[in-house]
Order: sequence, then C-alpha cells, then structure tokens
Amino acid sequence: MGKFDSMVDRKGTEILVSLVGVIDEDVDFSQLNVAGAEKVSVDFSGVKSINSCGIREWMKWIALLKTAEVTYVKCPKVIIDQINMVDGFLPSNGKVESFYVPYYNETTGFEKNVLFRYGVDFKEKAVTPPAQVLDDQGQPMEMDVLEAKYFRFINK
Amino acid sequence: MVANKFSIRYKILILLTVIPIAALGIYGLLAVKVFRDDKIAYVFDSSRNISASLATQVKIQLNSVLGTAKFLLQDYLLQGQFSTLSQKLFENEAQVEAVGVFKVLADRKGYTVEGRLEKSKDLFDSIWAGWGPEGVSILDTAIQKKRLVKKRIGDDQLFLLEVASSPNRPEVFVFVIVYRGSEIKDVFSENKGMQAFLIDHEGKVLFGPEADEGIALSAKVPASFLSRDSKTVTQGAEAVRDSQKKDLLVSYSKVGFSDLMVVTAVDQNRALIATKILVRKSGFFFVVMISFIVILSLLVSRSLTEALTSLFLATRKVSEGKFDFRVNVKSNDEIGTLAENFNLMAREVSRLLAQTAEKARMENELLTAKTVQETLFPLSKNRVGPLGISGFYEPSSECGGDWWHYCTVGDRALLWIGDATGHGAPAALITSAAKSAATIIELLDVTPAQALELLNRCIYDVSKGQIMMTFFLAAFDFKTSRLTYANASHEAPFLIRKSNLPLRRKDLLSLNEVTSPRLGQARDTKYKETTVDLELGDMVFLYTDGVLDIQSPNSQPWGEREFLKALIQANVDSPSADVSVARFVEAFQAFRQGSSLIDDVTFFVVKNEGSENTVKI
Repeated sequence: MGKFDSMVDRKGTEILVSLVGVIDEDVDFSQLNVAGAEKVSVDFSGVKSINSCGIREWMKWIALLKTAEVTYVKCPKVIIDQINMVDGFLPSNGKVESFYVPYYNETTGFEKNVLFRYGVDFKEKAVTPPAQVLDDQGQPMEMDVLEAKYFRFINK
Repeated sequence: MVANKFSIRYKILILLTVIPIAALGIYGLLAVKVFRDDKIAYVFDSSRNISASLATQVKIQLNSVLGTAKFLLQDYLLQGQFSTLSQKLFENEAQVEAVGVFKVLADRKGYTVEGRLEKSKDLFDSIWAGWGPEGVSILDTAIQKKRLVKKRIGDDQLFLLEVASSPNRPEVFVFVIVYRGSEIKDVFSENKGMQAFLIDHEGKVLFGPEADEGIALSAKVPASFLSRDSKTVTQGAEAVRDSQKKDLLVSYSKVGFSDLMVVTAVDQNRALIATKILVRKSGFFFVVMISFIVILSLLVSRSLTEALTSLFLATRKVSEGKFDFRVNVKSNDEIGTLAENFNLMAREVSRLLAQTAEKARMENELLTAKTVQETLFPLSKNRVGPLGISGFYEPSSECGGDWWHYCTVGDRALLWIGDATGHGAPAALITSAAKSAATIIELLDVTPAQALELLNRCIYDVSKGQIMMTFFLAAFDFKTSRLTYANASHEAPFLIRKSNLPLRRKDLLSLNEVTSPRLGQARDTKYKETTVDLELGDMVFLYTDGVLDIQSPNSQPWGEREFLKALIQANVDSPSADVSVARFVEAFQAFRQGSSLIDDVTFFVVKNEGSENTVKI
C-alpha cells in the first residue's frame, strides 16, 4: 500500500468515499468515480496529513460534485483545520457530520480523540462538548485545541 | 592514461607461436630419437643376422672341406701313406689344392713332411715354403689348438691344419689342407653397405676388404669383444668409434670352426641416413608448420587485438574527457559485449555529466534565485511608526514559497504574509509576482480586501490556477490604532492582548473573523475584511503553516500543542517584538535540532509599542 489509498462504496445514488493516508501532490482524486451521485459522504478518519498541494487537488475534485450533497464524517484535526482555514474546502452545500476533537491530560500525557457527532455534540452555531472526558486512568482531560479557532466552522 | 608497455597482440602471437614450436620441437626430437634407436636396433639385428649367416656359410664350407679331408687323414693314419683311393679322391676335389702331412718329431722339436697329395709336383712344398719361418710357429699353434685355419695376405688359399694321431701309432701328425677359398673371399669382398671380416684366433683379418687383410681388426674396429675372452658368447653387437672417428655399428658371430669369427661393421652415418632424411623432411615440415602457425597467429591475434585496441583507444579518449567517443566492434563474443557495455557506459557517463552540468547550472540558478528572493524580504527587525516588527524566514530549499513584508502607506502600515502552494522554485516565482504586485498596490489607497482582490487577480493570471497562495493582509492605522485585515485562507494570526496577568492559551485570540478563498483560485474573488483594535502593548503573531510542520531529528512533528506552548512562553511577559521572536526561534530550533524543514517557515511579530521612530524599509 502506498502513502494514500481510497475506497468508494456505492449504494444507489449514495456514495461513501473513504480516504486513508497522506493527501499531497501525488494524490489523483480523478480515480474516485462518483458520477451520478446525489449524496457523497467522505470518511476522513484515515487521513494522516494534508499539505497545500493536497488541498488544491481536493478542492478541484470536490468542485466537480456541484449539486451533490456532501457530508464529511469522522474528520480528524488536520481536516478540521483546513475546513476552518481554507475557504471552500467544505463546499457551501456541505456539512460536517462528525469530527474528532483531541483531548489531552497535561499531567499524565494521555491523548484521546473524541468523536463529536452532529445533533449530539454539536449543531449549527452551537457546540455541547461532553461534560467530562477521562483518560484510561480516570483522570479528567482537557480539550487540546483553541476552541474559538477549532469550532469556527460551526459558529460561522 | 598509462600507455601499454607490451601489446597483448605480441603476447598472443608469442603464445600461439612458442607453444606449437616447443611442442613440435619436442615431438620432433622424441620422434627422431625413437626412429634413430629403432633404426640402430634394426641395423644391429640385420648385421647380426648377416654375420651369423656368413659364419654359417664359412662353417659349412670349411666342414665340407674337412669332411672330404677326413677320409684322407684316416687313410693316411691307417696306411702310413696315402692310398691310391685317397689320391683318386683328392684329384676329384677341385678346390683342395694340396694336402701335406707333418710328423711331429720326438720331444716336439720339429716337424718333418711325411706325406703329400698334390695336384702338381712339389706344389705343396712350394706353397708351404711361402710361409717361411712362420710355418713352424703355425704348426706349433696347430698343435696347441688341435685345429687351425691360416691364410696368407693377398692370396685366397686357406690352410686348414688338423692335428691327428693314430691309435696304433704314437706319432702325432699335422695335416695341412690347402684349400682355395675363393668362394669365401667372394662372400667377404661383397660390399653391401657394410664391411664383413673373417678373423682368426688372433683377431687378424683372413677375409675382408682387400686393404684390411692380415691386419689386427681391433686396430681398426676397437670393439670390446675383440679384446675380451668371450668364449661363451657366440653372437653380439656393439657401437664403436673407429680410429678415424667414424661411428660404426659392429656385430659378430663365431663360426664354430676353430676360433674363427665373422665381424660385420656398418657405418652408422650411412645406416642412419634415413634418419637424416627424416630429420631433414621433418625440419622442412616444421618450418612450413611454424610459418603457417605464425601467419595464422598474426591473423587471429589481429582479429582479437583489433577489438581490444579499439577499446584501448576508446578508454584513452574517455580519459581525455571525450565521452562522445564510441567503439565500433561488431563481434558476438565477450569482447563485442565488452565494447557494447563500454559504449553504454560512455553514453551513461555522458548523460550523467550532462545531468551533473545541468544540475550545477540549475543549482547556480537556484542560488541566484535565492539571492534575488532574499531581496524580496524586508529587514527582519524594524520599527514602523509605533509598531515594533521582528520576523524570521527560512526556506526548506534554496527558494521558498513563503513571503512576508511590511511597509507604510500614508498613516498606515501594511503587513503582508503569504504562502504559495508547495515550495521551491515554482512557489518562489509566485512570491516574486506577489511582491511585484504588492509594490504597485502599495501605491494605491486601497483597503486590505481591495488589495487582496488585486493581488488575487495578479496571482491568478500568473499561475493560471496551478499555484495558489494563502494570504493575510492587515493595515494598521497609526492614528486610530485599528487593525483592518483580510484573509485569503491563510493561517489566522494570533492577537495577544497586553495583560498584567500571565499569558494563557485562552488569551490567544485567533484573527479568523473573516476568511476568503485563496489567491489564484478564482479570478474575480471578492475578499472580506474586518477590524480589531491593536492597543498599546498588544501584539500580533503572524505565521505560515510550515511552523507547525517542523520535525525533530526522529521525525516527530512539533504539533499545535507545542507550538502554542512556545508561543505563550515567548510572550509570557509581554516582551518586545525582537525578544518575542528570539524566544520563539530558540524554542523551535531546540525542538528541531538542525533537522531539515518539511515546509518553509515564516513568522513575524508586530507589537504596538507606542513611540514612533524613523521608518527603515
């Protein structure tokens, strides 16, 4: 397996695209056949990183979907950062269905990614994080992001 | 290049010539020796057979004569004289010329002739008188030997002396039979490439070549068998060298009658004349063969070494730097393959040299581009109005895609930071275009959003959508201390308010109120802008995403958490822009420990320090 892999799971007009690895200038999204799709869900959970060239390639491909309803699921931090920063990374008709929020315990050094789901942990212009996130030792963890920056895509 | 000291052609030539010469030479010597030995053996065998044959003939002749004479002897011993029958019988024996009977006197003090048989009157006496005084010693010897054969030089008469006595009478008689040995003489005078001798008990020649009759054979043929007592050996052969230094092959056979012996001598040179012919013909064949081999070797070595010589010349050309030289060898053997590989190697070396030259040229160009690009950046430390500014820039390769800048336009300071897609030369070209456009835009009285709109059009037209740029542009109004900014999908800068309390994560305010598409994404993009106050003591940290991408030597990413920690620690006590940047640089360099950059790293700090100073840009 190379540094990037993708998989398309088609169910009628609904397509689930799963991306794994590093998204950079070597990635060719044109191989992802989503013609005729009315709803495209993109699973980013396997994405390790994305650079500026990868962003360019992704936005070229996502622009081809046009009328399809686009949903991003299980977005890791590297994707949320791009959604917040790069205008158009998430199409105007797209939405984030779930994303990971990194938590961290300064004392124990534990790290954990907590999946925030739409309708449960967040909705339009509102984030309701879990009251408490504990590490494997039962110690409380704090959010490892700048909330104002990380949740910007929800609040704008 | 070292010249060849001894051509391989000569080595091959020597190899192809010396080995056959040595082999043929050794073979020739062995063949000649075997042939010579075989010939000598054959000559020995032949001459021994001849000597044996001659000895047999002599023996038969003499026994025949003696057989006839036996009757006469018996008759004389019985009758005391030769009877009429004896006389008749004698007269019928043509070859027996005379028979004389010597009586040994008492006490053996002399001899008297007692009887005679003669073909003519007084023949015997006249014949015997020819011996002179030697006659007595001959008779003495006959007494000793019982039987004796004598012959005078120059005459073919043989004297067979037979000692006999009568059982009824005490007298001892010596019968002397004079026999004409012309048949025997003929046998020994025939010369068929060899000399034959009939010698007596003293080794004197009875019959043989005329000049040798009567001489002691040992004087002429110093064969060992002539001097030793070899009674038991009846036949033999020996190679000797005579008094004239001539090599002889000598063989002998005892006749078996008296002590007569037949000796044959063959001139070895004549006997081995066939060997000489063989040697001569072999020599001729040898010379022909060697000549053929030399010519063949010349041709073969030439065909072999021609290709090697071509290769040698080619390597010399290559050593002189002429890599376009090619070897023209069309053989299908190893040398042909070697030549093809050499040509491949030369082509590859040419290609690599050209590649290296091209690389060097590109590196030089990149260095030039780097030098040029460095002019695009402002002083890293400066004061612009009330703003203290300090920045840092390090490209990940010779040229970078990051760019930052500041300037004053009227009562405003413009703060620029951007990051082109990717890095390296292509990205650097876009930053150059951005700088050029910015220089023009600075002349216009435009807001940050309008400036980005113009800059976007420039970038779009230059890159045709292939390379984009994230960009953050802010304008600080000296009079109002307000910061108006527009963001083209760039990392949002952090605003850090002045506070007497320790700086915390929550105090880092992200300037992300507005964000717009990247420069170069679409030609007619409209950009939004917003405004925040930048009070005295407030500072803004502007950066590109390469800061977050730096890695430790073991490839561990720095990450946002450590980045924010470093940022907080650098500004924990609201330091000046210079100190803030110095602290931050120290922090990330400590983490990086000299490892290569993944992406270009650019950041700068702008702090409202209040007092205005001269602007140096």
